[in-house]
This record gives sequence, structure tokens and C-alpha cells, in this order.
Amino acid sequence: MKLNNIKFLAILLILFVSSCTKELDVTPGDPNAFLSEDFYSSPESYRQGLAGVYSNLTLTGVSGPGSSNIAGIDAGTSQYGRGLWNLQVLAADEAKWSWENDPGVAEIQRSTWVANNVLLRGMYGRGMAQVAFANEFLRQTTDELLSKRGVSTELRAEIATYRAEARFLRALAYYHMMDLFGKCAFVTDENPVGAYQAPQAERPQLFKYIESELLDIEDDLKAPRQNEYARADRGAAWMLLAKLYLNAQVFVNENRYADCIAYCDKIISAGYQLAPNYLNLFKADNNNNDATIEIIFPVLSDGVVTQNYGPTTLMINSQVGSKESNGASFGVNAGGWGGALRVPKQFSEIFLNGEYDRDDRNTLITADRTIDISSIADRSTGYIIGKWSNLTSTGARGKALEIVDTDFPMFRLADVYLMYVEATLKGGGGARGKALEYFNALRTRAKNPNLISDAELTLDLLIDERLVELHWESHRRQDLIRFDMFTGNKYNWSWKGNAANGIAIPDYRKVYPLPSESLAANPNLTQNPGY
Amino acid sequence: MLKTILVMYLAVIPAFIFSQTVSGTVIDAQSLEPIIGANIVVKGTLTGTSTDLDGRYQLSASFGDTLVFSYTGYELLELVVNATTMDVQMRESSQLLDEVVVIAYGTTTVKDATGSVASVTERNFNRGNIVTPENLLNGRVAGVTVNTGGAPGSGSTIRIRGGSSLGASNDPLIVINGLPITNNTIGGAQSILSSINPNDIKSFTILKDASATAIYGSRASNGVIIITTKSGGNDLKVEFNTQVGLSTLPNTLDIFSADEFRALVAEKRPDLVPLLGTANTNWQDEIYEDVVFNNQNLSLQGSLFKKLPARLSLGLTTQPGIRLTSKFQRNSAALTLNPSLLNNDLKVTINANLAQEKNRFASGQEGNAITFDPTQPVYDPNSPFGGFFEYYKDNGDGVLNSADLTPNSPGNPVAALLQRTDKSEVTRIYGNINLDYRLPFFPSLRAVVNLGLDDASAEGFTSVVKESRTTQPNGEFLGSRSEYTNDQRNVLFDSYFAYDKNFNKNIDVEATAGYSFQRFESEGYFSGELKNDLPDSEPVNSAATDLVLIGLFGRANVSLYDKYLFTASFRRDATSRFSEDNRWGNFPALAFAWRMREDFFPSSELITNLKLRLGWGITGQQDIGQGAADLYLERYARGLPSSQYTFGNEIIPIAVPQFRNEELKWEETTTSNIGVDFGLFRDRISGTVEYFYKESKDLLAFAAISDGSNFSNSGFQNIGNFTSQGVEFSIDLDVFNPRQSVFNWNVGFNATVIKTEIKELALNQDVRVGGIAGGVGGTIQLHRVGYAPFKFFVYKQVYNEDNEPIEGAYVDLNGDNIINDNDRYLYRNNQPELTMGFLSQMSYKNFDLSFNMRASIGNYIYNNVNSARAQYDLIQNIQVLSNLPRSVRESNFNTTPTVILSDYFMENGSFLKMDNITLGYTFKDAFKTGADFRISGGVQNVFTITNYSGLDPEIFSGIDNTIYPRARTFLLGGNINF
Repeated sequence: MKLNNIKFLAILLILFVSSCTKELDVTPGDPNAFLSEDFYSSPESYRQGLAGVYSNLTLTGVSGPGSSNIAGIDAGTSQYGRGLWNLQVLAADEAKWSWENDPGVAEIQRSTWVANNVLLRGMYGRGMAQVAFANEFLRQTTDELLSKRGVSTELRAEIATYRAEARFLRALAYYHMMDLFGKCAFVTDENPVGAYQAPQAERPQLFKYIESELLDIEDDLKAPRQNEYARADRGAAWMLLAKLYLNAQVFVNENRYADCIAYCDKIISAGYQLAPNYLNLFKADNNNNDATIEIIFPVLSDGVVTQNYGPTTLMINSQVGSKESNGASFGVNAGGWGGALRVPKQFSEIFLNGEYDRDDRNTLITADRTIDISSIADRSTGYIIGKWSNLTSTGARGKALEIVDTDFPMFRLADVYLMYVEATLKGGGGARGKALEYFNALRTRAKNPNLISDAELTLDLLIDERLVELHWESHRRQDLIRFDMFTGNKYNWSWKGNAANGIAIPDYRKVYPLPSESLAANPNLTQNPGY
Repeated sequence: MLKTILVMYLAVIPAFIFSQTVSGTVIDAQSLEPIIGANIVVKGTLTGTSTDLDGRYQLSASFGDTLVFSYTGYELLELVVNATTMDVQMRESSQLLDEVVVIAYGTTTVKDATGSVASVTERNFNRGNIVTPENLLNGRVAGVTVNTGGAPGSGSTIRIRGGSSLGASNDPLIVINGLPITNNTIGGAQSILSSINPNDIKSFTILKDASATAIYGSRASNGVIIITTKSGGNDLKVEFNTQVGLSTLPNTLDIFSADEFRALVAEKRPDLVPLLGTANTNWQDEIYEDVVFNNQNLSLQGSLFKKLPARLSLGLTTQPGIRLTSKFQRNSAALTLNPSLLNNDLKVTINANLAQEKNRFASGQEGNAITFDPTQPVYDPNSPFGGFFEYYKDNGDGVLNSADLTPNSPGNPVAALLQRTDKSEVTRIYGNINLDYRLPFFPSLRAVVNLGLDDASAEGFTSVVKESRTTQPNGEFLGSRSEYTNDQRNVLFDSYFAYDKNFNKNIDVEATAGYSFQRFESEGYFSGELKNDLPDSEPVNSAATDLVLIGLFGRANVSLYDKYLFTASFRRDATSRFSEDNRWGNFPALAFAWRMREDFFPSSELITNLKLRLGWGITGQQDIGQGAADLYLERYARGLPSSQYTFGNEIIPIAVPQFRNEELKWEETTTSNIGVDFGLFRDRISGTVEYFYKESKDLLAFAAISDGSNFSNSGFQNIGNFTSQGVEFSIDLDVFNPRQSVFNWNVGFNATVIKTEIKELALNQDVRVGGIAGGVGGTIQLHRVGYAPFKFFVYKQVYNEDNEPIEGAYVDLNGDNIINDNDRYLYRNNQPELTMGFLSQMSYKNFDLSFNMRASIGNYIYNNVNSARAQYDLIQNIQVLSNLPRSVRESNFNTTPTVILSDYFMENGSFLKMDNITLGYTFKDAFKTGADFRISGGVQNVFTITNYSGLDPEIFSGIDNTIYPRARTFLLGGNINF
């Protein structure tokens, strides 16, 4: 009797326990979180998933501008374009950041960076996350899975384009990694998600891979200017190929100027035109004013729906002078970020060399300021500029007063013109006449009366003209390296090498070190020499 | 243990057929005074009673039965029934070896405990203005630290033996009447314990070592605090407590006064003199006020219908904070019923608690008050900002908006407080129903079922008046308003069998085996900004993924000859946080205790207690936060309205895959413990010395992950190893023995030394922690292998021959002629090397005086108040002036970026604090009503002795960037008992 009772109770208990263990299989509770299999059960999901991959170029997380899926760095600073901007612009002669108590900045702009610099960690992490996001989209859109989910033929055709765009974004990320770090982990959609320790790829392998990917997706991408705004098309792929070839000498020690010219030609003949007004390219409505005809690939920003602390928000708030409090003229709070950015003397000197006295691209503000940044902390030293704006082309203010509506034109036609000129001057076989025409077209568009003659068209002028046309657009470090002016003694700018007047820095600083955390997390990676 | 049943009062004496009435008187062996309320039970049964006011008792028992007499503070007595009248003398035992201690899934006694178990009961609770329960035991127990914030009702950082994790939670498990509660504070509440009325608490048990905690398995790595609330009784008891007090600001930060500031500006920046105002404002005084708080408690205890022991308690606490507008109010009701049914075989305990917490939060304006120009007034009659002084200049465009504000200017700190309302109301219902059934056909076995519920719902809003300088994103002055709700629910189902058998006089066996199920749920709503209708201000609903925990557990205690005590326990736990392959963990523990006195000096009058305890066990950890409840799942997250992308003109709600780790598993901590309990001179001196060693492995660490393989560069992984060891010492002295003298004095002292070391970190990479002000994303602390966690990571300041710091000059520690991040070094630690607690309780006739103190030695503080503000350049804040800490006169530093990481700002934060001193007088049998009436007066936060230059050295993180100051409170209290 006793025993039976106990047995009965024991059996009851066992039944109860086993039924409860099913409760351990939980599912996401948040209305904005989904199991991936549930998410991809709806046809709209593919477009949203693709937007997710694009968004990593500008959003740092899914919960507003203060959220981030990259750790070890302030959320806003982890933004893709901002990381790129810091490493291409601050590290060179185009700007200095006043708030050096922000971690990592001083090392970057004084050329003393080390492997545990947080800005490096942020950019490597962000770029490699882009690879992971693209890979995930490709894994979720295989033929096999699409068939299994019963996706319609119509949608599948659409998804083929989406896949090509995801591969473009992956190639773009690898391109940035190759340029900045000289190497990176090589992960594709064939590899598992988790803690997979990918092999390291150096520049030759990355170069080949990026090139082959871009060539491979060319047909699947929409024709130039035929895709929706902010989505990559064939023009964007050609642009990336042209940049690859222009820098091939640096990347893989090969002369590919002829290929560069070929792709510049393709882009130029695809219907892009210079925007009639230079400054409209950098305004709050550059997503729908007359600048869109020039922009090949933008990264979005919006004061309401695409909030981020990326390069355009950074530049517009930071170009506000501490003394001038001139934010209202850029459509942001009058004080902006209190004078966060000023330009080094060498930058100002190019604009003041007589060529650009009348030029829309010259936005220097010099009154009551010294040209020299004698102290980075003293925000009244050094000139400031006013290239970017959160006002629209008609003078209306953007939607918000800090986070701007201004998109970042990552690729635009003017750059193609200057690449054509450079590749031609470097012996790529382009037509000199066309080169001169492109060069002068940019000056004409900027209402600069100083058109040049064929004899004046030199590489020395070109590198200055690139600064004048493309400054703060995240090209400068790469340009200086291509002209061998970044390291060594050929060209010293203020605070290069941590000296007020600039001193030489060693050649190993042409690439950044891999972040120490990333090296540790993946033993297949090796550190760049010198670090 | 059999004695566990002694806690039960039994109102009704069942009449057994073969039993007869036994009666008698229980008196004190020494004073021969009757003992009131002594418990008597028939051993092995639940039949029992307690003595009345004359010390008399009667109950039913048979000849040959053993009666067990017990009374708090007296030695246990067992007598075989051999007469119908049995008069008994009980002997006092000052060390309360027989005191019942609530442990996991049962009870034990001090005498029989095998693990490291500390009990704090009403009699040695801290006194004074105790708003939240954890402050009843602050400083009372070796190895337990409680760091409470200054805001009214503020939560605490509680650590038992320093915690055992780096990346996962270090909070102890808190169990209220058998219901483990969540460590996640509901939005709108002050803390997880703030809704619990301290007056309802009977005892705390602190389980420190694994042999005591491992039966809680997965959540026990950081120790366990078991809170037991008061229960009903037989006799009618009414208690009324009232307390009023005045809270004041003890001290302020040392900054320049208005006149000193004028002089400073004239000296350092004569060009800025025109910006000076004419007022003399002490902004630190302006943002605080003296406030009166009060606290009332009424409790009724008795037996309903003479059958149903019950207790009802009502509490009302109103505690305004000293920071303007902040306020905490708690209304609580607690009902406890302890009926016994089915011939006392079924004991039912029902605890039902309803608490309502009303908060008004005040935003931290301390940093602003330090720097706001002291020459500007608080009020400005011409100001369009509700009459408050603000920096503005009408730009004449006819519209008042952000363009009229002085760029980059700070807001008036007083206006920021008074123009903002941030209120919440939290309703919490918690409690449990415990059914304890002794199987009539097998009386050694009990079946226990415990059902628990903790349901909290919060509602709150934040609003700012439209006269405020607060702007909408587009620059308009519309004020601001948003609302939120949060609901949390925690349900528990525990069931276990408890077997208890005394095989013969020398072998006592107790065994427990059971099952536990618990689920935590949480969901919330946020309205978004209601004063504009932009798409990014749409409401957002959110919910955490449920957390489900299931455990199977067992424990056996064997006592041989009442001298050799063995405990073995085992728990198998599962969490929904990990994937199916990794979710189960096993947590065993063993303990042995030897009551050595009984073997070596059984009749010694000098050594009255000597017990050796050895314990070993493994505990688990899985708490990595509510947001990390499903990291093993393939998840996508959709962007909020502010985080979308646009293709063409179509706004696309983005979806992004989330970090995933299918390999996550339990973090495990192995603890070994050796302890000696001793009692001397009839236990007038008693104490414990303990040594512990803890090693945590497979640490749940938020660490870098191979880039490109996951959807982040970092995430939770099981990597790392962390050890801590320590020595704890506690002693209680009856300086003057109670009951023998009109003057009684007892003191308690405890001291703890803890040493921690990181043995292995994820990938052996340093981890930067400890965010600081002054820059975006800066950190000052580091985890590094071979060192304690949270070491400060700083530059080594260079000094000139006059020992003055040279600004921006640091030692080039790696000798590469470049000062960069590679030259920072590890310095000191935020945790103390030694902590101590001291309690003194005296009484003389009807007077009583008690005070308690705490000391912390060797904790260092990074003075972020100075490092981010004490530089001359900061006098100019773009277009306005900014005040500085006066310490700038010593450093003469000019610029923040070059000095912020200097070890110059490190300070020794050792302190001695007197938390409370209370003097009371009791009118016994006041007004001949039989009621005792006590009045008391005291001071809370009496003094702090420290060399730290900042406001208060009690800063858990070690980074001082202004705090809500802890008030000094003067108290008056009254208490009536009848």
C-alpha cells in the first residue's frame, strides 16, 4: 500500500517533469524579433533582409542611433562611413578633431596609432560584419531554400538582383578592408555562422576575389541608373572596379591604369552627369535634388527614419566653428558640436594658392582665425569649412537639428573624371584631350574661371585638385598613399608624426594594424609588419 | 532535522485516543522566572503547544513519548513522558546553537548546519531609517557587502564574497519565502527589493559556500539570500511603529564660490570677464533641499477563530529625496495565514503581499550644478523659460525656438529638475502558497508543494513643461511627454519530498528530493515622444524572451552521534537560455561538519562550542541579462522606426540577423570552504573563522569573436577562468551578560579579506571596462590575466622637483619614445582589500543604545569629477562660463585630453562610516495596559572618515563622476507592542 502510493506519486512526478521540459524551447518574445525561418516565410522579407545588409553602411544597430551591434567602441563612432572617414580623413591632412579625449582619435590624427586603438577595432569589426550580413543574405536566398519556401518565379528573379547587390556590398567591404588593413579574414557564404576562424587573405587574393566577384555579378545587377535610389547598380560595380585598378599599383604592384580607364569610360557613357551646382551634392536633399544625376552610390542618412552619427551628421555638426556658432547656416543647432573639426594649414594653403579664389569648392572660413593649428585643443586656431549642409537646395532646414538628412555620396562622377585624368597621366592610354576636358569640366561646374591648358595638366596639380573636389569624402589617405605622400618625408602636414609642423612617419603606416582583439579571436590572422 | 518542526505553533491539540493530558510549568533554571512562549512538541509528531504568560503548558501525549522543549536562547531539552505533570527548568544558552535557520528547501539549526550559513534575525538587524530590506543586514555578515545609492528607495549592489563572474551577473540569488525572484528591476521601480517592506522580514539567511547553495544549482554561484517574512501566531499581538525624520545634505563638492570664480576668471581669462553675472548662486545648494520623511507600520498577529494563525501588516513609507522633486512612496500590505489541517498533517502557509511603489525620479544635475556659472541667478523675471534664468538671446525672428538659445549652453539645473516630471507607479503582487503534507501512512515522509507568484506592473511617464528649454529635434519648444509600461511576471512551482528519520539515538537521516519549475516573463510599451508626430516617435512594444528554469534536486543529511554531520546534495538544472545540447548542468556538493567539542572537551566550561566545517561544491551561472535569453536561436531583429532604410522613395523596415552562439553553456564555479565555529565561556564569546577558495570556469564572457563569422565583432562565449579566495572572521561578544545585569552590552564584529585574480580571459585579450565622463566612449579600467578585475588603467604622471604634476607628461613605460596607449599601466583596484562591520547594542534598565559602523580599506577611486572638469581651459564653455572644482589650484592643469587618463586622479577611497546610532527608551507596561511603548531617536549616516577628496568614497565601481548624495537623516521613532 505504502509502496504503491509512492510509486504512483513517482510516476506522476516523472510525467509532470517530462511535460515541462518542453517549456524550455522558447521563441523570441519581442514583436520586432523573429526566428529566421519565420522571418523568411513572407515575400516582403527578402527586400527587408537586403535593406538590412545595406543599412549596415549607415545604421549601427536596430534600435536607434545609440544602439550598436559592434562592441568595444562608442555606438555612433562605430558607424561604417564614420570609421572610414576617421581613417581616411583625420589620419591625413584634411581635418583635425578637437575633442582628443574621445578614445583613439589622438592616435589616428597624430599618426601614433597602435593595434589596440578602438577606432581601428570599430572599423574592422564593422567592415567584417558587413561581410557576415551579406553572407547571411546569400545563405538565406539559395535556390534550394527559395524552392523549399515556395517563392514565386517573379520574386526569384528579383532576388537574383538582390543577391548580386549583396555580393557587391560584400566586395565593397573587402575592398575597404584591403585598402585600410592590407588583409583580413576571408569568409564567404560557404562558411558557418558562429566562431569560425577564417583563413587570412592578403591583398593579392582579396584583389582577385573582389575583381572576380564584381565581374561575375555585373549581368545580374541592374543597368546603371536603372535601380532605385540608394541601391547598387552596374555603375557602382564599375566604379569599384575602376578604383581597384587605379590603386592596383599600391594593392598588388600591378599597372592596371588601362583597365581603370576602360571602366571610367563605361561609367561616363552610362548617362551620369555632373550636378549643375557643386554644393547641392552635399545638401539635405541630395537624395532628390539635381545632384542625383552625379551620384553613383550614396549612403543614406535621415533625421527621422535613418538616424545615425555617421559622416554627414559628423561633418555638418563639426564644421560649425566654436567662435562662429554658425550652425544655423548649415541647418543644425547654432553651436553644432562646438568646433569639433578644423583643417590643417596645408589643406588651407592649397585653397589659398590663387587657383581657387573663386571656386564653389572653396568654403574656407578664415576670419579671426589663424591658419595654423598650433594646439589641437585650442578651437580658435585653424580655419574651418562649410562644404556640407543640412539645408536643402532651396534653403529649407532638414527634419532634425542634429542628425542630418544629407546622404554621403560614396561614389560620384567627379571622382571618375579625376580617376580618368590620373590613369591617363600615369600612362593608362586615355585620351589627354578628354582628360583635360574632364578636369576643366569640374572647374567650370565650380564656377572657377581658372581653366587649365594641356601643359598645366600634371599629377602634382591633380593630387591638389582631388583634395579640392573630393575633400572630406573619405579618399584622402588612399590618394596620398598612391602618390607616396602619406608616409616618409615627401609631404608633411600639421600633426603628422605628432609634431605641430609635421614630420616623417615610417612606411609601415601605409596600412593599419589589425586590431589586437581581432587577431586574438582568430589565430589565423597575422599582424602587419612594424606593429 | 526533527527540530525543524519546532517553528510551528500549534493552536489545536488533537486528542488521540491513547494519549492523555500532560501539563506543567517551564521556568528559567537560574532566575526561576516563568518562560513565556516556550515551545513543547511530542517528538516525531507535530503535536505541540507553547507556554502561556505564567509559563504553563498542557498537551496530549502518551507515556514513553519524548517531549521536546525549546525556547530561543535556551538549550534544547528532551524529556520522556513519565507523569501527567512535568515541571521543567530550562538553561540559557547564549550562543543560539538551536536557533532555527531557514535554508534551501527546509530548515536546520545553527548546531547542525554544515555549510557556510549566516543568519541575521530581527534582534541584530540594523536600526534606523531602513527603507529597503537589504539595509537591515548591511555590515552584519562577513563577506557580504551592500552598496546602496543615495536616491530615496534606491537599489543596492549586493555582493557575497565578491561575486564570481566577470561577464555574467554577480548579484546573489534572492529567495523570498521559497520564491527566487528576478534580478531584473522592472522599469519604473527603484530596485528589485524596493517594494518589500523591511518591517515584514523575520530573518535573512545568507548561504555563502557551495555546500549550502548548490541545491539552488544554476543560480547559486554568487551566494543566496533567503528572506523569510513574519508569520502568524497564536496570541494576539499588535505592533505599531512610527518614524519621522529629517534628511539633510551632509556635504558638497569643493568648487569655486561666485566671488572666487570672479577672481579666477579675472586672473586666468580677463577676456571673459564681460560674461560674468552679478548673482551669487551656490548651485549645489539650489538643487537640494532638506526633506521630512515618515514611515508607519501596523501589524496584527493572532489566531483567527482560534484555529487560523494569521498576521496582517500594513506599511506606509513616504520618503522624499534631498535632490529636488525626487520622492519614493511605498504602501504595502502583507497577509500571512498558517493553518494546519487534517490532524495537523497538512500545514498550509499562505503569504500574500501587495505593494504599491510610487516614484518620482529626478535627473542627475550634480555635474551641471558643479559647472554652472555661479555668478548667474536661479531666477530671471524676464525669462520666457518659466521665470528661470537660461542662456538665450532673442534673435528677433518672432518665434522662440532653439535658435534663440545661446549655442552649446547648459540648462539651468534647478529648472531641469522643477520643469520635469518623471513619475512611475509600480504595483507588485507577490507571495506563495506552501503545502506541507506529512503522509499519514508514512509519517517520516512529507510532501511539499510551493507555488509562488511575483507579478509586477509599472506605469510611468516623463513630461517636461513647454516653458522649458528642452527642444524637439526640429528645434521647437513644445515640452516633451512620453509614457511607458512594463509588466513582469515570475511563476514558481516547487515540489519535493522530505524524509526525516531518527533510526536510533545516534543516526539521524534527513533526505529531500524534488523538482522546481520557474518562468520569468517581461513585456513593455513605450509611447515615443507624444509632442510630435514624426514617424520615429511611434509607440514601441517590446518583450523579453521568456526564461524558463527547471531543476531536479536532492539532498541527504546524516548526523551520527550528533557529532559527525554529513551533507550531500545534487541538482540537475536546465535553462531555456542555452540550446538543447547545452542546457542541462549538474551541480553536486558535499559537506562535513564535526562538532569537536563533544569529542575533546565535552564538559569544558571554557570551550562551549567548537565545530569544524568542510564544504565543497559546484554551482552554476547563466544570468547574462534579460536581453540575452535566446542567443542560441537564429534570430532576426527588425529596425525601430528610427532605424530604417529607404530604397527609392520607399521606407523599408530593415531586418538584421542577430549575434548567435549555439555553444553557450553553464558557467561553473567550484567552491571549497573550511570553517571553524567556536564558543567560549558559555558562548558569551562566539564566532566563526572561514577560508574559501572559488574558481569559476567557462566564464560567460562578452568577448571578441572571430570577425566575419558572426553578426557582431563580440558576443557572449564561455571563455575564461577567475578565482577568488578570502578569509572571513566574525565574533560576537556579550560584554555584559543579559539577564544578570541591569546593564547589557553586546558587540559584533566581522572582517573579510578577499583576493581575486583573473586566470584566463577570452583569447587572453585585455578587456576595457569602466566608462568615464570627459570624451565619448573613454574607459579607465581593464581586465587582464594575472590581475584582479577592474584594475585602473592609467598613465604614470611625471612630477617636477616641487612634486607638482607636469601637465601631459607621462612616463614612457615601454621606452619607444612615443606616449601612446601602450604606455598605460595597471594601478590599484576598485574593490577593498579589507572590509569590516561593527555593531554595538547596549541597554541599561529601560534605555537602549545601539550603533553600527562599516569600514572599507584599500579601495581606490578614480576621481572623474576632477579629471573631466578641473582644468583651466574649461572656464570657457564655448560661449558661456563654466565653474571648476577648486582642486585645479593644486594641479594647475589646463586641458582635459592630455590629463584625463593620468594616475594623478587616483585616490585612496578607504573609509570608516557610522551608518546609524539610535537611543531608545522603553516604557514597560505603559499606562498599565500591558503594552510596551518605546521611543527612540537617532541619526542615519552619522559620519564618514576618509582621505578621499570627493563627496563620498562609497563608490562601488571606483569611478566617481558625481553621485546622488547619501543624506544624513535625523530620526524620531515610536513603537507600541501589546
